[in-house]
Amino acid sequence: MGSVVINLNLAGREVELLVKPLATLQSVLRNQLGLTSVKEGCRQGGCGSCTVLIDGEPMMSCLLPVQDVAGRTVTTMEGLNSPEGPTPIQQAFLDHHGYQCGYCTPGMEIVTTALLEHNPQPTRDQIVEALAGNVCRCTGYQPIVASIAAAAASAGEEVR
Amino acid sequence: MTVANYFQPESVPEAIGLLADHGPELLVIAGGTIAMPLINEGISLPSQVMGLRRAGLDGINLDGYTMRIGAMVTLTRLGEQYHVPLLATDAGRIAGWSIRNMATVGGNIFAPPPAGDLATALLALDARLTISGAHGERELALADFWTGFMTTSLEPDELLTSISVPLDVEPSAFIKFGRKQANTPSVVTVAVTAGRIALGAVGPHPIRARQAETVLAAGLLDRATIATAADAAAAECDPATDAIATDWYRRRMVRVMVERALTELAAKSKGKEA
Repeated sequence: MGSVVINLNLAGREVELLVKPLATLQSVLRNQLGLTSVKEGCRQGGCGSCTVLIDGEPMMSCLLPVQDVAGRTVTTMEGLNSPEGPTPIQQAFLDHHGYQCGYCTPGMEIVTTALLEHNPQPTRDQIVEALAGNVCRCTGYQPIVASIAAAAASAGEEVR
Repeated sequence: MTVANYFQPESVPEAIGLLADHGPELLVIAGGTIAMPLINEGISLPSQVMGLRRAGLDGINLDGYTMRIGAMVTLTRLGEQYHVPLLATDAGRIAGWSIRNMATVGGNIFAPPPAGDLATALLALDARLTISGAHGERELALADFWTGFMTTSLEPDELLTSISVPLDVEPSAFIKFGRKQANTPSVVTVAVTAGRIALGAVGPHPIRARQAETVLAAGLLDRATIATAADAAAAECDPATDAIATDWYRRRMVRVMVERALTELAAKSKGKEA
């Protein structure tokens, strides 16, 4: 069969790609498209640093054959960034020291994006539950939980 | 060696045709949460791979007294249904959010211990499997499906297509006991329904605690009966030592968790009668 051509919707942009059979979405996003927010952490689905949104739902891109998501919408942190400055979620992570080395941060912020989409005012337990698949080796998680709570609160302020 | 072909059949007949064409060398993956880590690490080096996300196996259908779950239904989807509370509770306790969005009901039945939490609940529900092959469909009780560690009675040209569970199984109780609250392999998983006790992570595959079930058949779920059943379950399970726990610890935790699950079941039964 050799390489195959697939289409993805990447943050609103249609892209056509030549991929190897069973190539992972993670390797294609990072190595072929240069989207370096998508980390290659454990490649086991155990760390969450490669988390991206597929049609708005978080998934581990290291376990996902890119051919399985052909035609679907893939969102990475690059697609959520704003040229005007940090997004409310990013600002909350800045304000509350939600990262140290930064390696897990894109995955954490991707999950945060999906969480607040599903549940704009999550409880502390719901935040912790949503983060269960994402590992951070620096912060001890408390500043990340605080960041997400603050992001939810600031989004609530904007609505009011 | 690299993967030569990744097939994405769009129907069950197409998938079965591919199995017939390629034989046992065709690796079948469902959600990919077990197979892809092995491929990424180079432990598994398949040449021919078949993925089932487009095969039309992702429906949940109610049929009289039965819920039929397509093999490719994700754990997230299963957790959202309310017809069988045991499965909703169980599915919600497995791994983390992103994995639950990918992992499938059918795939969990092939998960090697200490994984297979969902299969443990399915076993307590006496689930039946529908298996499709070139010569048609057959049904099989889940309890008769496994033949050993990572071996099953599935023929190389067959595909697990759906899992059926009865809708009227109430009450039930489920305990996943691990070293953390979430996203963790089990020390032991216990699922109980009236008359059935299933144990995960303490054998070559999820197992029924038949001796303990015999104890329950004798009468009421009082404290003495529950304690005797828990002792029997601890005696008959066959745990392994791994990075999560020793066989010694697992066996002791089987006793404790079976007792807790049956106590919860007894309380729910009483509530139902009142």
